[in-house]
Amino acid sequence: MLKDITLGQYLPGNSVVHRIDPRFKLIITAVFMGMLFAAKDILGLALGGIFAMTAFGMSGISPRIMFKSFKPLLPLVLFTAVFDLFFIKGGEVWLNWYFIEITQEGVDVTVFMVLRILFLILGTSLLTYTTSPIVLTDAIERLFSPLKKLKLPVHEFALMMTIALRFIPPLLQETDKIMSAQKARGADFESGNLLKRVKSLTPVLIPLFVSAFMRAEELALAMTCRGYTGGEGRTRLRQIKSGVKDYAALTVTVLFFAAVIIIGNLQLL
Amino acid sequence: MRKETVITLKDVSFHYGDSANVLKNLNIEIKRGEFTAVVGRNGSGKSTFAKLLGAILLPTSGTVEVDGFDTLNEDNHSVIRRKAGMVFQNPDNQIVSSVVEEDVAFALENMGVEPKEMRKRVDDALNTVGLYEHRFHAPHQLSGGQKQRVAIAGIIAMRPECIILDEATAMLDPVGRQEVLQTLYKLIEQYGVTVLHITHYMNEAADADRVIVFDEGCVLLDGTPDEVFSQEESIKSAGLELPRDVRFVLKSNLNRQTVTELAYAKEAGNPEWAVKTENLTYTYGAKTPFEKTAIKDINIGIKAGETVGVIGHSGSGKSTLIQHFNGLLKPAAGKVYIDGEDIWADKKKIRSIRFKAGLVFQYPEHQIFEETVYKAIAFGPKNMGLSEDEIDKRVRETAAMVGLSEQILKKSPFEISGGQRRRTAIAGVLAMHPEILVLDEPAAGLDPEGKNKIFSLIQTYQQKKDATVVIVSHSMEDIAKYATKVLVMNESEAVCYDTVQNVLTFNEN
Repeated sequence: MLKDITLGQYLPGNSVVHRIDPRFKLIITAVFMGMLFAAKDILGLALGGIFAMTAFGMSGISPRIMFKSFKPLLPLVLFTAVFDLFFIKGGEVWLNWYFIEITQEGVDVTVFMVLRILFLILGTSLLTYTTSPIVLTDAIERLFSPLKKLKLPVHEFALMMTIALRFIPPLLQETDKIMSAQKARGADFESGNLLKRVKSLTPVLIPLFVSAFMRAEELALAMTCRGYTGGEGRTRLRQIKSGVKDYAALTVTVLFFAAVIIIGNLQLL
Repeated sequence: MRKETVITLKDVSFHYGDSANVLKNLNIEIKRGEFTAVVGRNGSGKSTFAKLLGAILLPTSGTVEVDGFDTLNEDNHSVIRRKAGMVFQNPDNQIVSSVVEEDVAFALENMGVEPKEMRKRVDDALNTVGLYEHRFHAPHQLSGGQKQRVAIAGIIAMRPECIILDEATAMLDPVGRQEVLQTLYKLIEQYGVTVLHITHYMNEAADADRVIVFDEGCVLLDGTPDEVFSQEESIKSAGLELPRDVRFVLKSNLNRQTVTELAYAKEAGNPEWAVKTENLTYTYGAKTPFEKTAIKDINIGIKAGETVGVIGHSGSGKSTLIQHFNGLLKPAAGKVYIDGEDIWADKKKIRSIRFKAGLVFQYPEHQIFEETVYKAIAFGPKNMGLSEDEIDKRVRETAAMVGLSEQILKKSPFEISGGQRRRTAIAGVLAMHPEILVLDEPAAGLDPEGKNKIFSLIQTYQQKKDATVVIVSHSMEDIAKYATKVLVMNESEAVCYDTVQNVLTFNEN
């Protein structure tokens, strides 16, 4: 039922990974991504992979879900693989069949690229699996709050995200209902060519927009009544405290990053 | 010493832009700790009155004071909003955060309250409204009544002098309404909060300390419920009705047998049944962790020309059941027959079933999208592929039946009144001339006058077309008044299906 949809991919839990200060988790993810791009060869990449998989193991999330997170991006991975495999030439020729030529370098690059993308997905999905969207938004606001001095609307952006997250479920429910209601009056969303189908969505989109605007107006009113005047001088119920484990996790990440760079340079020598 | 009165209106008039006065020369004082109900038909000015108290609107002339603070002085606004909290009609549109406790904290965060103090106040507020266990839940996991209690918690966390509820119970089911009212009584008793409750429900007003009746921007009546409701003539002239002392309740000795007996008095598939279901079962989210059986083994037969009321708590499966009558939902198991025909026997025919069994959803006016009332009504007939002349004839005929004038047909559906918009939406279904008319809470959120209009137009249609009518409603009174049979749903099952006399009884108190 629509009422039961989970937002984003958050899987509640109480593992170390879940409990790490979300600000640190964001930074760690950023460093991890840097690690993958700094890796120059398979060995450096392997280090990044070990890091990601260890973290995944510690989160207590089942490997099945991990594989599921690869699924939507599989076409991208395949495309990259095919592209690299057939178009990068160099080194020993392993296969030559009509116009297809596969070389050693082509295979190397393909394996490297595919692994890099897979690890990237693994690391970033771990972030969304272990951090609820609302906490993540909060962390982004706090992390970027120094940018407020540059007049960047950090608070406004975060509030926008919060409200968007809040209203996704009711709007989905509403879309469902409007579609049913129009179908009940004989609207046909399933047949006809593309143009006709797009046109047939008008009876859904207009009421949806009207309702979204109405909601926005009412919400603005309710917020005004509760004394909202902008980000200035606000305090927060949720207090984030960073502790030893957060710094330890960050240190480990940075060490991994350093190791990846050292390995890359060693082999260049 | 604190003053006796919390709210004082002196010679207050108000109008929007250049239009005529919405409120005319009001003089009202609200005493501390009093529970005041404000009633009046749609457009009588009661919502504008509420907005003046929250300093959302400012009086055109005269003064509004909240606990001694004049709303005309803009510097007072933050204090006034802290002292007079407002709860609005739509529970969904006033909750900011996807976490209950954070939403309760929203006002305190705006006020810059220290985190420690905030924690305490939020927990207190959640305990007061009885939602402490739900503090980490997302709003979409809560019922309407619970959401309104979250909104109330968000306000009492500010420690206000008074709470103003602007039709806050209008969109709730009876259980939700009861939850909200109990919470209000508790606040008055324990914290001496002043409550101003704007409502369409006369029974809610009858339980207040004081009732103010608005009509055309003036105070028509003002006094204790006994004083006010003894003036029957004035109440009727204000478009309202008297509270009912006598309430209908389910008979205590109902037994399940009545279901099958009535349904199978005739042979299966007998064409005399306008609607017939056989072991009808539906499951949401089948084969997912969220699997939920919405209706189970429903066996009912509705005879042509009957009016059947469907009652039951929210979530009992009423809405799921009626969406099977026109093939919007496909049964997980079992069969649905319309006029003796299995509607899922030929999938291609399902669209024609929808014209035969017209379904009016809850708040149907929210589904209007055309630029004129005329086109809004014509949408269904057009989809049926009728000729231009026939469409025109049907639109005008139906509009006249539901009481929409020729001028209104040319107007935009967004510039007519709420009651007219509701009738436009219902006309959109009636113009398809369905043999079976199914309505989900057709009068929800309307004032007594609007409600009566809706029910009488359903009756007119039923008699004119000899149609079969199914009405889902929370109001036993409406069912008793308009239906011939009652179907009682409980926890996904049809527990009883029989004549009104056999199901409902009076409860005098």
